[in-house]
Amino acid sequence: MQQYDLMVVGGGPGGYVAAIRAAQLGFKTALVEKQHLGGVCLNWGCIPTKSLLRGADIAHMLKEAEHFGFTFDSLSFDINKLVKHSRSVANKLSGGVAYLMQKNNIKVIDGTATVADKCRLDVNHNGTVTQYRSNHIILATGARARNLPNIEIDGDLIWGAREAMTPTTLPGSLLVIGGGAIGVEFASLYNDLGTDVTLIEAAERITPAEDAEISSLAQKSFSQRGIKVLTSTLVQAVEGAGDQAMAIINGPDGERRQKFDQVILAVGIQGNIEGLGLENLGVKTENSFLVADPYGKTNLVGLYAIGDVSGAPWLAHKASHEAIVCVEKIAGIETAEPLNKNRVPGCTYCRPQIASVGLTEAQAKGAGHNIRVGRSSLNSNGKALAINEAEGLVKTVFDANSGELLGAHMIGPEVTEQIQGFGIAQQLAATEHDLAHTIYAHPTVSESMHESVLDSLGVAIHQ
Amino acid sequence: MNNNIKPIIMPKWGMEMSEGEINTWHVKVGDHIIVETDLVDVETAKIINTVAASDSGVVRAIVAEPGETHIVGALLGVIAPAEVSDEEIKTFINSFSGSNQVDVLEEAPSMTDIVNEPAVAAEQQPVKTDILSAGEDDSHVSASPVARRLAADYGVNLNNISGTGRHGRVSKRDLEAAVTAAGGRLIGTNNAVPSREKQGDDSHVKATPVARRLAEEMGINLLECRVSGNRGRVCKADVEAVAAMRNKVPTQTAVSAAPTSSSSTPIAISGMRKTIAERLQASKQTAPHFRVQIDAELDNLLATRKQINDANTEVKISVNDFIIKACASALTRVPAVNVQFDGERVTQFAEADISVAVAIKDGLITPIIPGANRKGLEVISHEMRDLATRAKLNRLKPEEFQGGSFCISNLGMYGIKQFDAIINPPQSAILAVGSGERRAVVKNGELAVATVVSLTLSSDHRIIDGAVAAEFMSVLKGFLEQPATMLI
Repeated sequence: MQQYDLMVVGGGPGGYVAAIRAAQLGFKTALVEKQHLGGVCLNWGCIPTKSLLRGADIAHMLKEAEHFGFTFDSLSFDINKLVKHSRSVANKLSGGVAYLMQKNNIKVIDGTATVADKCRLDVNHNGTVTQYRSNHIILATGARARNLPNIEIDGDLIWGAREAMTPTTLPGSLLVIGGGAIGVEFASLYNDLGTDVTLIEAAERITPAEDAEISSLAQKSFSQRGIKVLTSTLVQAVEGAGDQAMAIINGPDGERRQKFDQVILAVGIQGNIEGLGLENLGVKTENSFLVADPYGKTNLVGLYAIGDVSGAPWLAHKASHEAIVCVEKIAGIETAEPLNKNRVPGCTYCRPQIASVGLTEAQAKGAGHNIRVGRSSLNSNGKALAINEAEGLVKTVFDANSGELLGAHMIGPEVTEQIQGFGIAQQLAATEHDLAHTIYAHPTVSESMHESVLDSLGVAIHQ
Repeated sequence: MNNNIKPIIMPKWGMEMSEGEINTWHVKVGDHIIVETDLVDVETAKIINTVAASDSGVVRAIVAEPGETHIVGALLGVIAPAEVSDEEIKTFINSFSGSNQVDVLEEAPSMTDIVNEPAVAAEQQPVKTDILSAGEDDSHVSASPVARRLAADYGVNLNNISGTGRHGRVSKRDLEAAVTAAGGRLIGTNNAVPSREKQGDDSHVKATPVARRLAEEMGINLLECRVSGNRGRVCKADVEAVAAMRNKVPTQTAVSAAPTSSSSTPIAISGMRKTIAERLQASKQTAPHFRVQIDAELDNLLATRKQINDANTEVKISVNDFIIKACASALTRVPAVNVQFDGERVTQFAEADISVAVAIKDGLITPIIPGANRKGLEVISHEMRDLATRAKLNRLKPEEFQGGSFCISNLGMYGIKQFDAIINPPQSAILAVGSGERRAVVKNGELAVATVVSLTLSSDHRIIDGAVAAEFMSVLKGFLEQPATMLI
């Protein structure tokens, strides 16, 4: 039986990071992957969608070009080229992970893993089962799109994220079911590329996890762009109607039927816990996710779970962070601290972009904080006006007593690149005064971060 | 001499460290570095660790090459600002190598710091802030992250600092002001007198005049010595015992120039290998090994183990965990085996601190389960799993593998039926465990099959009599064959 000090199941941003950190620390490490190194993030998630959204940005820019004095005689768009760009970026990065595995002397084992017993893994590769022994086994098997009881992804009329990022033609009309981060990104993408998009969300607002003010601005912006946003609305069923899909939609105004060329289902995800042999060993799970302690330890000795499969938030950077914490804890590194879920930033790459970290205003109040809120609208920001993207808001939520930054919520151009500033402030336990006394470069969009903090103190300069 | 020139020297990590082998340099000559930059990995007999810079500047010279062994305090390299001339650097190197060893030691620790060794690092802090260090847990004190980190570095309890930062938070400035006011020196400044504590000042150690003089001549720190003389003093034998442990081979031994041929490769000896060689040789030469061997049937133990493991997802008790527990129980019953002997005095321990030999890359280390007699199987199992994991990563702290009152070496997983082990001094006995295997046994005059393990105890016959060793083994056998009796 082959033996490793530490084995990782799953080669996504949780698994491969865990393997590299383990190898750095001196563990004899192996990583089992059944399909593509890089996982969903690199191959079918974050990276390929961002590659497509770049195309959407360009489409938007071209529409705006006239404002800056450019006119075009003719303009054409080939979606296949955009998809090709997206796939080539994904492949390049997946190859990069393979290189990192090799460089760190990590054995990559192709196949499907099953936890055969405590500290035992069986890997099935094309029908041949190889047995492994390892004192530490980290499950980083990720998650996948969830179906609805009455609506299932069929890859034809009803797409999941995977099909939605590899279209061969641009649909004329599109129904996106689910107004979370994934649904909102696809709605924004297809709208910019020219599709007639309807976005339906069961909750009373889109991006329901975000601060209510941010959601409402996003919804306003989407509506202005021509995306039909229906909230507090359910899709009862989707039926085939010739080449099209007939959706039965039930909203505040009653039930109606509407035809669409295409439907995207983006109603959340479920953990990949099946086929791992966990039920035989009494490993605890909850709603399709593994139950683990703050360091990733499950109730089975030597078995750990990180990333999407260990529960929300389902974000690559949360998985990578958990990977480091889990491995360092196993190695006895005393500075390993559990992930603080209030410090995990969330980014949505629709237009305008949304980024946030920490508690929303409502959550902060709910947690009993005496709060102080600052707001700064981008329409008073010189740089945002200069680039003609002055639609947006930076909202900061502080504890009025301690000055702690409880949460920050942003919507606007490239805010996903700016949220780190607030993340660092939280990590360093900066108060509103520390942030107010920091010097922000001019002219930048991020000056609005400063204004928002100043506003929380009632001393905003530019509004 | 130019005060801006800083030596990189071989640090002293723990009392037993006398020399270290250069493993890998992370910087090269000409590199600009800042405080905390990793400079060089040094391998000692016990550990590989990284020397980090405590000064910023340019690496101007590297005088110790990978593979070389240097004594504590030896010059490894030089850091200085770019404007210092090459001549000055050369002069510095020459004068450094010619300087008195003790001076070097006194000067050295302020120049280097140790990564991942907080205890030792604290001992080396270039400040004297005893009056600021006392106090209760200060985790609730409001302080900036920078101030909290510096407080840990200075060994300052934040309860003793009044905060003037925002919301009364202790700021870096508050902390530094307090340290300065207490007569301490700020980290990163090099204007203070070298502290004698850094090299482990042994002037307060009670010792006989002969022992003190001998220690001085042999370059042995009295803190390293066992105290077995009268009136609680270190005596001559104690110093000699340390000397015997030490490497007497010149530090820079070149691998002997054997005729090189295609069929042989000279392999440089690592620090760990050197220690293993010395200790085993000393043990074999000084302790007359007396061996007793016994077979124990494991079927009951295996059934109990299965019962426990099947009923609990959170543990995976190994046979070795049972053997640790059984040894601890047997040592409590036969304490005459739970002893250390340094040639002059026998120390008997109430607690069974059990060392367990763990094979690691290029050697072996013996992490300890302290007080195994007080611990249940689950705790022993978890501790052993953690110790074995960290042993392989070279992440054990010295106190986790130094000491121990008894040792277990298990080669059962390799299918070894039976073997003899060499005592790990100053311990006085070691148990060698073979593999548990199905063997034919005679029970009530009938031939039967049982799972049997062969156990061999090597004991130091100077202090452990044959009958004592035999009694220990028979008690151990009893515990292994009737594991429930360990519950009493």
